[in-house]
Amino acid sequence: MNPFGYSEPVWRLFTEPLHAGMLEGSRVLVGKAATPANRNRLELRVLMKADRIEDARFQAYGCPATIAVGAWLCERAIGSTLADLSAIRAREIRQALEIPEDRHHCALLGEDAVQSLCSSAS
Amino acid sequence: MTIYLDHAATTPLDPAVFEAMLPYLKPGGLHGNPASDHADGKRARQAVEMARIHVAKLVGAEVGEIVWTSGATESDNLAIKGAFEFYRERGRHIVTAMTEHKAVLDTCRYLETQGAQVTYLKPGPDGRVAPGQVLDALTPQTVLVSLMWVNNETGVIQDVAALAPQLRERSVLFHVDAAQAAGKIPIDLRAVPVDLMSLSAHKVYGPKGMGALFVRKKPRARLAPQLHGGGHEQGMRSGTLPTHQIVGMGAAFKVAAQRLAVDHAQLGALRDRLLGRLRDLPEIFVNGEAAPRVAGVLNVSFAGVEGESLRASLPELAGSSGSACSSATGESSYVLRALGREDELANASLRFSLGRATTEAEIDTVAEQVVGQVRRLRALSPLWRETA
Repeated sequence: MNPFGYSEPVWRLFTEPLHAGMLEGSRVLVGKAATPANRNRLELRVLMKADRIEDARFQAYGCPATIAVGAWLCERAIGSTLADLSAIRAREIRQALEIPEDRHHCALLGEDAVQSLCSSAS
Repeated sequence: MTIYLDHAATTPLDPAVFEAMLPYLKPGGLHGNPASDHADGKRARQAVEMARIHVAKLVGAEVGEIVWTSGATESDNLAIKGAFEFYRERGRHIVTAMTEHKAVLDTCRYLETQGAQVTYLKPGPDGRVAPGQVLDALTPQTVLVSLMWVNNETGVIQDVAALAPQLRERSVLFHVDAAQAAGKIPIDLRAVPVDLMSLSAHKVYGPKGMGALFVRKKPRARLAPQLHGGGHEQGMRSGTLPTHQIVGMGAAFKVAAQRLAVDHAQLGALRDRLLGRLRDLPEIFVNGEAAPRVAGVLNVSFAGVEGESLRASLPELAGSSGSACSSATGESSYVLRALGREDELANASLRFSLGRATTEAEIDTVAEQVVGQVRRLRALSPLWRETA
């Protein structure tokens, strides 16, 4: 039941957000992003094993699209390298989740969180 | 299946209202024009006048003081624009509140382009405008004060009875939007000297597209008509009367008069049950909690969750949300912000408005879903971990 007209992938990941939660430990990298105007927040955490991401978790405060972005990035991250992850741009997030133009800021939040995470590794 | 807790937005037709309307709506029914002088017209006119009696009776008005309109929005427009135009030589200042319905606020904004000066009062944190605030805002140029009796978002009841005599003493017209008050609280216009009062049918289990404006006869409140042509309704509102709609409103107000006390008790008990269950959550805030409120409305802000996600998490709840949209330009409820709620809390609010058909089982289901989803969203939020 999706009476508010969200895209199918946003709705699926919002109602059952896989990978929600925390990761802790020395092998964990953290990325944080926020939009000051409406206080949306996204935090990504990935567990590294050698150069691969073994596990990923997110926390989000924001609209359904923001939560879906967090869940999607975790799915996308697991099994990939940091180099792969850092190549993700808002455009790709928007396309994958069918996020409309007026929610572009949600996809940008995802890109910002990824960049924050990757820069914490260097 | 949805659970409908949005009776402040609109109500379903009462079965008795539906039955009363049918003879005037169905093919082959009583279709005469109430303005016609033949037998069919007379029958329609009798039905219209009987409905006027029921509407007048619920609010303690004289029958001749009820003017039919298309709804409370039109009534507000007619009252405010009509009074301003009629009395503009006397003065051009209007006093209202920031928490009024858009039908009042947008009408006042329009009149500002026509030379009106409008004061928009900010209510206290409880949602009430103190009578003293209104009196302090008056100037020798003030012709009209417009305040709603019951706020549509919070259910807060304004102290109309205390203010009305003081405005009468000062010869300032007093318009009250009572769309959310009629049938919810006792109203007796014989005792409360309001001059103009807007009423709606569909908030009281009547049909949509139907309303009325109370226009006091003694002392007479004068209005410049906003619809011309035909001189219906004592020249104040031209247009062929919609008999079936009027009959529906009359029937709805008749039922409301009979059920006022029962509804109040029943809805109040359900409202308290709902709030009791929601209180399982920490950091929730009842908007307008310190003020007297109508029994059927409960407006709650939930700390630590974002408004749009809160609303989206509850697809089976047909309720109202303070969240417009969390996009960059989205605005949260202007009513809650005027009460001093910060944006996040105004945004993360739900208005539950209960009705005659609402059951305890529905209340329990909604409460369980809200508590569960607020916990889920809080668990997802990095902010909640920081602040809890």
